[in-house]
Amino acid sequence: MKRVKISPVTRISGFMEIDAIIGNNTVTDAKTEGLLFRGFEKMLEGRSPFDAVYFTQRICGICSAAHSMASTLALEDAFGIIPSQQGRYLRDIIHGCEFLQNHIRHFYQYTAPDFIKLPEGNTLFETNHNDFRLPKQKNDLIVQHYFDSLVYSRNAHEMLAVLGGKAPHNHGVFIGGITSQATQEKILQLRSLLQNIREFICNKMIPDAYTIAEYYEEYFRIGRGYGNLLSFGCFNEYEKLGTLYVNPLAYSGGKIVELNPAEITENIYSSWYIANEDTYTPYQTIPEPDMDKIDAYSWVKAPRYRGLPYEVGPLARMWLCGEYRNGISTMDRTLARVLEAAKIADIILTLLNNVIPGISVQKEYEVPENAKGAGLIDTTRGALGHWMKIENSVISLYQIITPSAWNLSTRSEDNLPGPGEKALIGTIIQNTDSPVEIGRIIRSFDPCVSCATHVYTNGSLIKTMKVVP
Amino acid sequence: MNEKISICPNFYTRLETTSLLVHKVIDSVKQNKIKKRNLIWFELTGCSGNIISLLDGANPDFKSLATQMVNFIYDNSLMAAEGEDAMEKLFSVIDDDYILAVEGAVSTKNNGLYNIIGRWRGQPVTAYDAIKKFGEKAAYVIAVGTCASDGGISAARPNPAQCVGIQSLLNKKVIKLPGCPCHPDWFMGTLAYIMLFGEPELDSRQRPIMLYSTLIHDICPRRKYFDSGIFASKLGEKTCMFKIGCRGPVTRVDCPVRKWNEGVNWPIEDDSPCIGCAMFGFPDKMEPFISYDTT
Repeated sequence: MKRVKISPVTRISGFMEIDAIIGNNTVTDAKTEGLLFRGFEKMLEGRSPFDAVYFTQRICGICSAAHSMASTLALEDAFGIIPSQQGRYLRDIIHGCEFLQNHIRHFYQYTAPDFIKLPEGNTLFETNHNDFRLPKQKNDLIVQHYFDSLVYSRNAHEMLAVLGGKAPHNHGVFIGGITSQATQEKILQLRSLLQNIREFICNKMIPDAYTIAEYYEEYFRIGRGYGNLLSFGCFNEYEKLGTLYVNPLAYSGGKIVELNPAEITENIYSSWYIANEDTYTPYQTIPEPDMDKIDAYSWVKAPRYRGLPYEVGPLARMWLCGEYRNGISTMDRTLARVLEAAKIADIILTLLNNVIPGISVQKEYEVPENAKGAGLIDTTRGALGHWMKIENSVISLYQIITPSAWNLSTRSEDNLPGPGEKALIGTIIQNTDSPVEIGRIIRSFDPCVSCATHVYTNGSLIKTMKVVP
Repeated sequence: MNEKISICPNFYTRLETTSLLVHKVIDSVKQNKIKKRNLIWFELTGCSGNIISLLDGANPDFKSLATQMVNFIYDNSLMAAEGEDAMEKLFSVIDDDYILAVEGAVSTKNNGLYNIIGRWRGQPVTAYDAIKKFGEKAAYVIAVGTCASDGGISAARPNPAQCVGIQSLLNKKVIKLPGCPCHPDWFMGTLAYIMLFGEPELDSRQRPIMLYSTLIHDICPRRKYFDSGIFASKLGEKTCMFKIGCRGPVTRVDCPVRKWNEGVNWPIEDDSPCIGCAMFGFPDKMEPFISYDTT
């Protein structure tokens, strides 16, 4: 038996440790732990509900637009506002640009270095394993695309900024749609950038992903997890266009069912919190932290649907909408992500074709004295929910369940591991001195620990940890 | 490039300053006039949005930085190595020459255990510990973004993790580049200046004067509406947004001319108010960001 701790897991957003037990070259147990705490939910109490749109974006610098979307939807739900279709098109274009930025960066800057050898002579590009299998010519082509991709992910943020003021942390997404208007000039600018990004995705990124898949074929059988998939839906239920991507659905035991948000809970059995009940619904009070809690090992809570762990993200969406059914594995997640990037580019184009320039969707809004609302939407990494209560016209409760909280969730009383943990357990490790499989599996979920550990904490010292002197 | 608005031409010269400096560094490195410096980039208690913003840079881009300007030693988001091996690379330069760039504040609660950035030789290394160890020994320390500069949103009321800006933990001067996030040009220009000439001239809040000397309000293209008393009552209007919460009148930074993401836009041109993200006291002292009570 050997205990392996990988800390930090690099090429993700935020700080994460993996604590794995390996026996007979097989992972027999694994825990995913998030190691960064700020306390956004507590910070939001007492603030103006409008400010939540800009405030919550700062939870995460790689998916900030995601939080502006969920926050805006929560406000619209609380205020009883139905945005115009033009407003929805515009802000969904911003949202789509964030998918493109993320997927391109995740595939080349975060995933590819696990499988291709980056140029020597640069400390940043040195690895601690030698499992590189691509012939030199193919390897070097992907290396070239690693650097080329910087242009296209940057251009995706440029598109986002055309409608959203700036990126990261946009100023565009707001109640009703976006703050500004689309002009003919902006639409042309967006089309031109989109065309180049789409060509890069289709001609370089997707073929590169298949090249890697060809040489690391066993990763189609590694990192499956439960096979429970969930989506809150996105780019869906437009009045004229219908659903361009996916509706709120869940998949378990081979069946797809309509999602009922009332059956979402969070559990804190293995997380450093205490409350009257270990399981609660999102509108209930946020539990109090307790870092001395026996058996707790993570600040990430355990979101559950009908009491079960679910995987969220591109593979879940592509599976639920019926466009990708090859399998559920490390490599399938990667392929679903790059294929989704092309699909998102097409969705943005459809939305652009339906945008009417020069329409302002903004009004003067009034905060209700007491209200509550939820904003549930699928974002780059998966299902994101913001739940908000307003009392005396200020925020009295703000609850956030992020995609990475689903994927990196801890165990509940039933001792069921989170989806990421489940995907690691049972994996055969070729070289236990260099367990490269672990990082590859966990990165296929595109974890974002900045998001997952946004929670309020107030605890004491973790007993078992010492600080380096 | 930016649409030219009729203000002092000196501004456009300044706009190009950062790229001129960076290219001068690249040329000087090629000609062996100056040496590449080691660069460590810490993502501490924050959202890692500043490293993403740096990747958005095009003036020149990240590849030029990593391959032609510096020996990029460590960054959580981008380095190929992981686990203790990554931490070994970090610690391998601690007694060497390096420039330290830090994004994120530092959580001081529970001896810093609210933010562990990795393990080194079996023990957890906190953000607090990392900044103490590497900050004191660095040739220069650059606070990238508002959290590292002044605590920023990580230190927002009631500051559950007891976050502070990095200067309050260090006995040496920190060069501050506030902004949420930091514009890639602000970082690249400052780094290039340091490599060529050493510490740039700083204002009383330790910000480089070449980037932070101008009030947004003074060069705002909507200033004429303010002067004429024509104010927007909601987002989306093209007039002065002072009454719905614009913090341009107190925020010093060059957004109106530099703009964002290759100069395509900036918040005020997007018909939404400046929320003062580059200002000391953001977010608490800059709120409410949006207000419809314009009386």
